Amino acid sequence: MKAFQQNLKQLEAADTQVLGVSMDSPYANKAFADQIGVTFPLLSDWGGDVTRQYGVYVDKYKAARRVNFLIGKDGKILEEQIDREAIDPKKIVDACERKKVSR
Amino acid sequence: MKRRGVSKVLGIWLLLAGIICPQIQAQGKKPEPPMKLKVGDVAPDFKLQYFDGSDDKDVTLSQYRGKSNVVLAFYIFAFTGG
Repeated sequence: MKAFQQNLKQLEAADTQVLGVSMDSPYANKAFADQIGVTFPLLSDWGGDVTRQYGVYVDKYKAARRVNFLIGKDGKILEEQIDREAIDPKKIVDACERKKVSR
Repeated sequence: MKRRGVSKVLGIWLLLAGIICPQIQAQGKKPEPPMKLKVGDVAPDFKLQYFDGSDDKDVTLSQYRGKSNVVLAFYIFAFTGG
């Protein structure tokens, strides 16, 4: 989440809204956001319905995998980053920048 | 007659082994399960809440349609790294 915060200005300049999602409560997420200085919403998927719908629920953890989706304005998935790869969002930031340039 | 029955049973076992074994091998080789949603797929709409400090706010994916791209960053738990 911190990595997205560091790139937030770039992403916003490229018309991109960042949303974090976890299965924590809204209040735990707010405390987490405050602690690490995240200003974008951290959404609460209490119960995990959306996590399952996106196919990123892991039985072993009873929680989500670390996965980033970049979704275009048309609602289609443009990029995916999975597990370890998802820690550094450079691929997504670059993809947003490219879209901005090509427009 | 009896011998034919035996070979039939053996044949079924070989067939089953042929179906099951490659699946077990494939599972062993692939630690990461494939993604259900792939690049190019339509992202399913959702409605989720966050707490902005004073109120619970609803967010849907469809509210950004035609307006902005969305990064949806799933993470394991609050208060963990990354």
